[in-house]
Amino acid sequence: MNNEMIEEIVKEVMMSMSEKTDERVKIKSNDKKINNDIDPKKDYPLATKKPELVRTPTDKKLEEITLNGVLEGKINAKDVRIAPETLEIQAQVAEGVGRNAFAENLRRASELISIPDDRILAIYNALRPNRSTKSELLEIADELKNDYNAVINSNFVKEAAEVYEKRDMLRKE
Amino acid sequence: MKRSKRFEILEQREVNKDGFVKEWPEVGLMAMNGPNDPRPSIKIENGNVVELDGKNRNDFDMIDIFIADYAINLDKALEVMQKDSTELAKMIVNVDVPREEIIKLTTAMTPAKIVDVVEKMNVVEMMMALQKMRARKTPSNQCHVTNLKDNPVQIAADAAEAALRGFDEMETTVAVARYAPLNALALLTGAQVGRAGILTQCAVEEATELELGMRGLTCYAETVSVYGTESVFVDGDDTPWSKGFLASAYASRGLKMRFTSGTGSEVLMGYAEGKSMLYLEARCIYITRGAGVQGLQNGSISCIGVPGSVPSGIRAVLAENLITTMLDMEVASGNDQTFSHSPMRRTARTLMQMLPGTDFIFSGYSAVPNYDNMFAGSNFDAEDFDDYNIIQRDLKVDGGLKPVSEKEIVNIRNKAAKAIQAVFKGLGLPKITDEEVESATYAHGSKDMPERDMVEDIKAAGEMMKTGVTGIDVVKALYENGFEDISERVLNMLKQRVSGDYLHTSSILDSEFNVISAVNDCNDYMGPGTGYRLSEKRWSEIKDIPNAKSPEDFE
Amino acid sequence: MAVNEKIIEEIVNEVLKSLNSNVDNSSNFNQKKNDFTGSINFEDMGEAKKGTRKDEVVIGVAPAFGIYQNKTINNLSHDKVLRELIAGIEEEGLIARIVRVERTSDVAFIGLDAAKLSGSGIGIGLQSKGTIVIHQKDLFPLSNLELFPQAPVITLDIYRAIGKNAAKYAKGESPNPVFTINDQMARPKYQALAALLHIKETEHVNKNSKTQEIKFQL
Repeated sequence: MNNEMIEEIVKEVMMSMSEKTDERVKIKSNDKKINNDIDPKKDYPLATKKPELVRTPTDKKLEEITLNGVLEGKINAKDVRIAPETLEIQAQVAEGVGRNAFAENLRRASELISIPDDRILAIYNALRPNRSTKSELLEIADELKNDYNAVINSNFVKEAAEVYEKRDMLRKE
Repeated sequence: MKRSKRFEILEQREVNKDGFVKEWPEVGLMAMNGPNDPRPSIKIENGNVVELDGKNRNDFDMIDIFIADYAINLDKALEVMQKDSTELAKMIVNVDVPREEIIKLTTAMTPAKIVDVVEKMNVVEMMMALQKMRARKTPSNQCHVTNLKDNPVQIAADAAEAALRGFDEMETTVAVARYAPLNALALLTGAQVGRAGILTQCAVEEATELELGMRGLTCYAETVSVYGTESVFVDGDDTPWSKGFLASAYASRGLKMRFTSGTGSEVLMGYAEGKSMLYLEARCIYITRGAGVQGLQNGSISCIGVPGSVPSGIRAVLAENLITTMLDMEVASGNDQTFSHSPMRRTARTLMQMLPGTDFIFSGYSAVPNYDNMFAGSNFDAEDFDDYNIIQRDLKVDGGLKPVSEKEIVNIRNKAAKAIQAVFKGLGLPKITDEEVESATYAHGSKDMPERDMVEDIKAAGEMMKTGVTGIDVVKALYENGFEDISERVLNMLKQRVSGDYLHTSSILDSEFNVISAVNDCNDYMGPGTGYRLSEKRWSEIKDIPNAKSPEDFE
Repeated sequence: MAVNEKIIEEIVNEVLKSLNSNVDNSSNFNQKKNDFTGSINFEDMGEAKKGTRKDEVVIGVAPAFGIYQNKTINNLSHDKVLRELIAGIEEEGLIARIVRVERTSDVAFIGLDAAKLSGSGIGIGLQSKGTIVIHQKDLFPLSNLELFPQAPVITLDIYRAIGKNAAKYAKGESPNPVFTINDQMARPKYQALAALLHIKETEHVNKNSKTQEIKFQL
């Protein structure tokens, strides 16, 4: 189910990319067909109302995260992280209460889950003003798309490269 | 000239130690209604904004581009922009029009339009509006826990006390930057001793702050600043895109976060482009919304001396809080920095947020004496606790705090000091002595604490980051050293990031780790008898001050 | 306020002590101190070059410094402030070089620009209102070695101690940070004034201008 959703989103994103000249990516917020299942009123908070929908990226259930689990070494730091599927559900909760911009942030975030902490920090620093050349930013955009399938983020970085060029915020050699 | 005795007395008053300046609109030293502020406008072609507030797309700076492309609900924009601003202001104040109807309109306005609308209101109307527009129904409060020497035992004890006094969120920062992981650790531990479910953060340089969060040593982040002009944003070493990416980075680790901005920062940094403080702050609020961040800390924050020195400046500060709620975001509404020498001015300024209630009335009430406040002092501090409690009682207003007994405070401080002693032991950090535990139990501030070997602490803090200590290690250290209950609580805080429920707008946690947010606790204020009302239980807490006498006391 | 006065007194005493212990250090500025007349004399020497000497600290001053403004928010004349910084650097046996950064008025970026020009990699950024930072060439702009954000409480002795610490970093030492005073009431009293002064400084920024080497004559 959740995989399907993600697939759909990616498809949408690809579509919107090809139809838009400036490659800006927007998930069409009116397009509610992917989130008929989640009702913020009934299903939120997930931890108490729909715990069965929540899995860690290591595929553990919420109820498996216990003190005993930690003490026995079955639960470690990698298990207390959010999974892309969970962020997608939370994005739908956000849309259900009319917070589309917030939902988009959560979808950008779900793409970043698999990127290591160090790399996240490095990309953030590269996006700061006057830090990168245009081609360096475009390389990051390619990396995001090719290595991590992070399409929304890839376009976000490409867009930054365009704006930085226009506004004179690229690194001068 | 022969001096008037009265004028001589007046000259000595506290208020006359404050700095005041005359307006200078050409450089933006003006609170609101600036003569150079743009007039509201929008033009949309093929779903693209081609004109925003009088500026053609070709002339957009990076902030205009970001706002035009991400922050405005274009479906309703044309309709709303045609409406009269006074009529819109009336709707916002009108108790018969529900919040959700207003949100549909306000999120379709341009920055200049929303400023034009709030400028139509006086402060009482703004407070009326804020009471209705705040996202979470239940108001709350946040505190600062810091000290001059970054003493971790004192941080833990002060955090535990602050939890008992009612704060739901706590923020620390450092005197010495390299102490950051120890301060975060002490705050996390102490807060959970005080009450299960408190959210903690450590305000440091952006990249370090993110790393502490990823490690599980903090529960959320707030010090992610945005600015209203391009030049100042770049001087702040960021852009809307770098900050937008950072926002997603936090969410990707299941961490709650909000941005920070405030009136006066642009003019203080010399690039206000001749625009009023409120107009530029409105741009910050739109950037935050465009980045998809759930909330914002604003209310001038560390720049409060600037709006505080010009006419209608404190009204502008209230207006910026209000605009944040009008864009459907959480607001942590300032009151967190020294603002005036005058106790009257200090109180009047805080009533603007305390009376209507906000998501966090203070984004940093100093839970320590101001001399220990490493955010350069807050508008209210630990020495004002009783004043604050009695203002709540006088006005029957929920400011988030409650009276406490000396005995319970001494007990909880002692437990927190022992808990952090155990964590330090478990993680192999420099020893915390029983003498330090005893001092922290009874201390008011760092002057009452014995010296620690700061060089050793700093070294250990560096090691801690290098060896990759995480929240899970803290859980184990607590358990293995006799604090099973607190161990469980810290684990439950880590668990929050798996479900992500607390990523949502205006989230706090109750003592059973249930998320209370603007999804399941929506503000439904529509006049008397609706919205947030004090429960009998909460009212008893507030009114029960230990120094009130009863007839039996005189028998 | 009583507390702060006490702290200031303590610091002054500390600084005086450290000064006295350094009497044998032959700083030019110590000798010239008495016949200094107070008028500032900058000579433009053209575009600043990256230094090669490991024993230099570069002081970057902001666009209006000593030209359009001549004293800090704490009423200290710019020449005296410079003199103390240089004296502090020379006490450690290093030399000071002065540049004017015109592309920005932000203290962090001025400090970083100075550090990048410095042969030792250590620079000082100094605004006209007196805000000052010690920077190192490989740090993030908004990071720093030591930052003194509250210009209203910085005295001449503190400026000297800052110069001294900058020189110590340049020598590869890890000195104790110069003790900073935390005056919670500086904000309500001075912040608006600080904004005024900074605006006046920023009026003289030229984004395309190259950093200038300047000769500081007494």
